[in-house]
Amino acid sequence: MSIYLPIGPQHPVHPEAVQLKLKVEGEEVVDADVDVSFVHRGIEKVLETKTYVQGLFLAERICGICNVAHTTCYAINVERLAGVEVPRRALYLRLVVEELARMHSHMLWLSLLAHVIGFDSLFMLAQRDRELVLDLMEEITGGRVITSYNVIGGVRRNVDAALAQKIISTLDGLRKRVLEYKRLLGEDAILRARTEDVGYLSSSKAVELSAVGPVARASGVPYDVRECDPYLIHDEVPFNVVVYNTCDVWGRAMVRIDEVLESIEMIRYALERLPEGDVRAKVPLLIKPPPGESVARVEAPRGELIHYVRSDGSERPVRYKVRTPTLANLAALVEMLKTGRKDRPVYVADVPVIFASIDPCICCAARVLLIDEKRGSVKEVGMDEVVRGE
Amino acid sequence: MIVLEPLLRFVQALAYLLYTLLLALLLEWFDRKLIAKFQNRVGPHYTGPAGILQPLADVLKLLSKESVVPEGTDRLMFTLSPLLAFTIICTATAFVPLLGYRGLVSLEGDVILVLALLTLYLLVIYTAGASSSSRFSLIGATRAALMLLGFEIPLMLSCLSVAASSGSFRISEIAAKAQPRLLGIHALGFLVYLVAAQAELDRQPFDIPEAETEIVSGWLVEYSGWRLAIFRLSKDIELVLLTGLAVALFIGGGPNVPLQGFELAIATPVFLIKQLLVVFILSLIRASFGRLRIDQFIGVGWRALIPASFLYLVIAALVA
Repeated sequence: MSIYLPIGPQHPVHPEAVQLKLKVEGEEVVDADVDVSFVHRGIEKVLETKTYVQGLFLAERICGICNVAHTTCYAINVERLAGVEVPRRALYLRLVVEELARMHSHMLWLSLLAHVIGFDSLFMLAQRDRELVLDLMEEITGGRVITSYNVIGGVRRNVDAALAQKIISTLDGLRKRVLEYKRLLGEDAILRARTEDVGYLSSSKAVELSAVGPVARASGVPYDVRECDPYLIHDEVPFNVVVYNTCDVWGRAMVRIDEVLESIEMIRYALERLPEGDVRAKVPLLIKPPPGESVARVEAPRGELIHYVRSDGSERPVRYKVRTPTLANLAALVEMLKTGRKDRPVYVADVPVIFASIDPCICCAARVLLIDEKRGSVKEVGMDEVVRGE
Repeated sequence: MIVLEPLLRFVQALAYLLYTLLLALLLEWFDRKLIAKFQNRVGPHYTGPAGILQPLADVLKLLSKESVVPEGTDRLMFTLSPLLAFTIICTATAFVPLLGYRGLVSLEGDVILVLALLTLYLLVIYTAGASSSSRFSLIGATRAALMLLGFEIPLMLSCLSVAASSGSFRISEIAAKAQPRLLGIHALGFLVYLVAAQAELDRQPFDIPEAETEIVSGWLVEYSGWRLAIFRLSKDIELVLLTGLAVALFIGGGPNVPLQGFELAIATPVFLIKQLLVVFILSLIRASFGRLRIDQFIGVGWRALIPASFLYLVIAALVA
């Protein structure tokens, strides 16, 4: 006898409105679907009514945790359209803040994974250590999570030598804690038992369903926008693309932990080699870029983020389109929920773990889903730009 | 005299019940405070000194709230289940020498009776989950019943082995002989008992039937108001019962003879301190692990716990 088990739209495991429609037989999941259309906010449409500078602050609010990625992506698009040259020091600082945002996003994710598994001590401790990053964020940008740090043409605030030193020393302390979590993930029997072989997504399926971010990289797909399409100064700052071949939730956790460690090294490298000069180019408040279009790709903490903008020469964009990483990962999520690995089915107890493992951000994804109806032409234009090597 | 005797017994039973309830709230507070410390939190803080009245405040708050009976629920079982659970667990507690020198009642074979009542208690939890009309509580109830397969045999074997090696099935007599137990061969039994008790209590890593992040709170999900308050109290008393049993069987209560003077005065506090020690161990386990899956738990139960408990039975029998 199979029963229909709706997880959500109200469920303690995820604060956002999403519904996982499961068909279960006893403890085994036999069919799954996902519905994310509860919180459409219409941001793309509203962006068309704002000037380019106003739009930046709206783009920032597409996602709370990934706000730095969204503003970076938006600013890059507008700068390309308007032909603004960004000072090199600003690029370095953008990278520092972007990696700090990646760190706190991944640490938040780690704590949520622990919470889902019922390991609340790890949840509390990871949240405590995340505070260190948030405090640094506040000192650099003035905001803990929503930073408003990127502006068109550069960044809002400078970082002096004393602050740079403080960031480096704080991150050194944090590094020890993160290494401790990494050891825990490797050694804790229950953590491993709950994550290994759970949420299996083979490499070929990951490519076929175009999974992005840590989900793809844990399935052995070395795809990282920072590496394949450097949008800041990633070609100058050495870093490794973290790849695991385990294809399961454990691999996704390890990818994220290792990325935190990579981020620490990147921030240290960038801060030690900060070029002198301005942090912000002079840009008029009412930007009127020439007609044209632009696509920018950014590696957000959750994966590849794409912004597309088209200008008709006025002070407002005529079309703005956002593809968030969670949307890209939804197809992979359904695949993971439906199919287990060989003789190992998906259990009800695995569902929250699998769901958490893509680091879902539903309000980002829901906004895009409604656009699906007229996806065709819009999407193709975007992909052309990508292929042309924007 | 004929009238007074039952009346006296009634008052005695009432006083013992009151003590059990107070102890239950105290242990819950201690557990919550400990977990908070382990997790770098403050824990209960506002109600009473160091938040010691918080569990009582929680119960009172729940009692004052509406108890919703969802549509399609078996109303009789839904109401009877919390009452039955409370009655069963209080009855079982009466046999545990919580006062240090005695419990409320003691009879030959009461250790078996207490174990039987514990199984019955889990049966009530199953009916509680199955009678509420929610898919989550049905899954939770099924899990609770499945859990029983994993921990019931080890729990019983560890208790009965101690009883066998003491040559008595009366809890107070076992407690009297138990003094230096932990140091000897009974450490294995104590370990098995602790793990099984953790599972019986639905605490991490075995909080599978409740599993907040999976099935919301499992069999308990539809309960609210006074019914939930009674279930929560029952769970607290269950903690009193299982820690009390651990102390009586493995650490040792007072001697099974009438005490006098100073010894009588300190018997209860000493027993309480031993109980807090067991709660400390259980809290430490709870704070250190995530939650297993039900299939993994059954695996652990049959591959590790049950062989260990049989090994302990053999050892205990050889020594006795």
